[in-house]
Amino acid sequence: MLTPFLKYLKGLLISLVSLLLLSQPAWAFCGFYVAKADTELYNQASQVIIARDGDRTVLTMANDYQGEVQDFALVVPVPVVLKEDQVHVGESSIIKRLDDFSAPRLVEYFDENPCEVREFNDFVGSLLRNQIPLPAAAPAQESAADLGVTIEEQFSVGEYDILVLSAKESDGLETWLRQNEYQLPDGASALLQPYIKEKMKFFVAKVNLEEFDRNGVNELRPLMMAFESPKYMLPIRLGMMNAQQAQDLLVYILSPKGQAEVTNYRTVKVPSNVEIPEFVEDEFGDFYTTMFEQDYQRQGRDDVFLEYAWDMSTCDPCSAPNLSKEELKQAGVFWDKDSYIPQVFITRLHVRYTRDKFPQDLKFHETANRQSFQGRYVIRHPYRGEMTCDAAGDYLNRTYLRQEEEIHTLAKVTGWDKEDIRRKVDFVNAPKPSGNWWDSIW
Amino acid sequence: MPFSDARDYQIAILSGFLFLGVYTRDWTLHLDWVGFTVAACVLTQWSLSAWQARQKATIEKPFQIQPLLISGLRSSLITALGISLLLRVNHPIVLVLAGSLAIASKFFLKYENKHFFNPANFGIITVLLLSKDAWVSPGQWGTDWWYLILFFSAAGLVLNKVGRWDTSIAFLISYGGLEIARNFWLGWSWDVVAHQLSSGSLLLFAFFMLTDPRSIPNAKKGRIFWSISIALLTFILQHGVYSSSAIFWALFALAPTTVLIDKVWKSSRFNWQESEPKESSKFAPDFSMQPVNLL
Repeated sequence: MLTPFLKYLKGLLISLVSLLLLSQPAWAFCGFYVAKADTELYNQASQVIIARDGDRTVLTMANDYQGEVQDFALVVPVPVVLKEDQVHVGESSIIKRLDDFSAPRLVEYFDENPCEVREFNDFVGSLLRNQIPLPAAAPAQESAADLGVTIEEQFSVGEYDILVLSAKESDGLETWLRQNEYQLPDGASALLQPYIKEKMKFFVAKVNLEEFDRNGVNELRPLMMAFESPKYMLPIRLGMMNAQQAQDLLVYILSPKGQAEVTNYRTVKVPSNVEIPEFVEDEFGDFYTTMFEQDYQRQGRDDVFLEYAWDMSTCDPCSAPNLSKEELKQAGVFWDKDSYIPQVFITRLHVRYTRDKFPQDLKFHETANRQSFQGRYVIRHPYRGEMTCDAAGDYLNRTYLRQEEEIHTLAKVTGWDKEDIRRKVDFVNAPKPSGNWWDSIW
Repeated sequence: MPFSDARDYQIAILSGFLFLGVYTRDWTLHLDWVGFTVAACVLTQWSLSAWQARQKATIEKPFQIQPLLISGLRSSLITALGISLLLRVNHPIVLVLAGSLAIASKFFLKYENKHFFNPANFGIITVLLLSKDAWVSPGQWGTDWWYLILFFSAAGLVLNKVGRWDTSIAFLISYGGLEIARNFWLGWSWDVVAHQLSSGSLLLFAFFMLTDPRSIPNAKKGRIFWSISIALLTFILQHGVYSSSAIFWALFALAPTTVLIDKVWKSSRFNWQESEPKESSKFAPDFSMQPVNLL
């Protein structure tokens, strides 16, 4: 009775130690990248599309592998054995499309001349960036079944060579991977064990260099897999094994029904609909990332952030054109095949996770929630032309106060210094108010 | 007089949680929707109890409306707060439906004058089944404040203001034990199971929904057996069919077994009647003046 406990403690210790000490291979979101050489890998923002209806799922994984292509290898726990026709290589552009469509947006409004008849004028400004991943590859070879490792499937799709493994015990799997020259951090088996016990399989991908060269595309395309399973989760634990810093994961969930939620962490909305000074237009990316970090810290670093939730047939304002039926199909939407455009509700979740605050893999569920939400930030440009009427003074006073308010808001959501912000603000020339109540009477 | 009845404490604690949730936890819940739910529960309670009292009225003891209005208020408020805390909807009409069904279940689904569904649980599950606009959010409380919930709920238990403690404890120990055992078997570190068990939603369920003395088994042994069964079914639904709202389904499925358990382990019903004046109990329908906890 004591032995398994000691073994358990040992495993725990090893994973903790490796967490502190190891630094070579970087690990990715769902599974991990394993390198054959001690290549320095980066792994900061992963993107996943989950198109799910009932138990049927099409999972698209793009990630930010940035090492040499020949060194790339990916191991992801999957709920079922995947056969060749269940795996597909997608297009990176579709992830960019979804990102653009759902990204937090800046909206600009222009004040009109208060001395003229009103008319409305607004348009959508720039969007948030997002990097597209660049993975790379490494070969593997079959090895003994004595280790309890079974190669369930073996095939090639596009530029990838795929193995689907099942294992009886984690030490065997670790040994097998090492024998086949996959470099694993020490203690990996302790983390592989729960997945084996839950009867999950391991999807192992590496790049077929010939195919990659023939392909002529300079980047690794996203891997897509279609499967049916009631398990609705993303394994993030393996990817955290020796990540030193917080990792970002963007999950785009497409559903015919409504919003998706994480069931084992709290889902909160990013701050939205705030009016901010004009100059933020030029540094919107910086603004958003700072604000996000600020809110992430404020919420205690243990929440999942909702950045967008919308019925995809509309958007207001649109940050990118709606996706066509063909594009939705590319993103994995497999329902409503006969309709003109499938019914799709998109949920964009942004998870910034670290080992201490996210001990459990992400579990999701679909809800009937059809409330729309978007990260929306508003800039209102004051009217700066000539104004020749009595209303002008009043307008300028109000605008000045509004600008002050915007500074306050910006400082609050980003933590930036108010004086620094103030220096960048182009204030209107408001007549100096005395503050007396009778000023505005005559 | 406020706080003369144990249910007042419960109303206070639940309202506190609700305000806390709406203002600090980002819920898609509006206070006016809570108002609709309360109205639905209270009005259903009043009209059904009036209907029932009218049927029981005799010439010597004619039907009187006043005691009904006061007595039904507390328990229906608790049900309304429970629904508001746990159920999420797209349209307030679904909340109204949930509230009305919850209260109606107390009047129509009973055996030997004892209703066996927890009203709020019944309301939640029936709208999940009937409507396409309802869902529950198990992650909505996060894990940040579990100690606060634990503290207030446990304090309530200890002070005997939040229902029957043995059901909460038996449920938490058996469910927690199963989860810890599974965690150990899988080989996860302790913080994984600690994270899972510190879910605010789980604690709210254990302390406020499982403890309704009116609908749960009468005998202590029966209650413990019943709680353990619910824990076991929750565990199976959660890990076997990956249900995210397993606890609600488990309670719903096993609630009717109360009738059988009461036959096996006999004990007197929750005996609030003894403290009531005899005449009034004749007129006040027996669902009124319920002690603590009907969430």
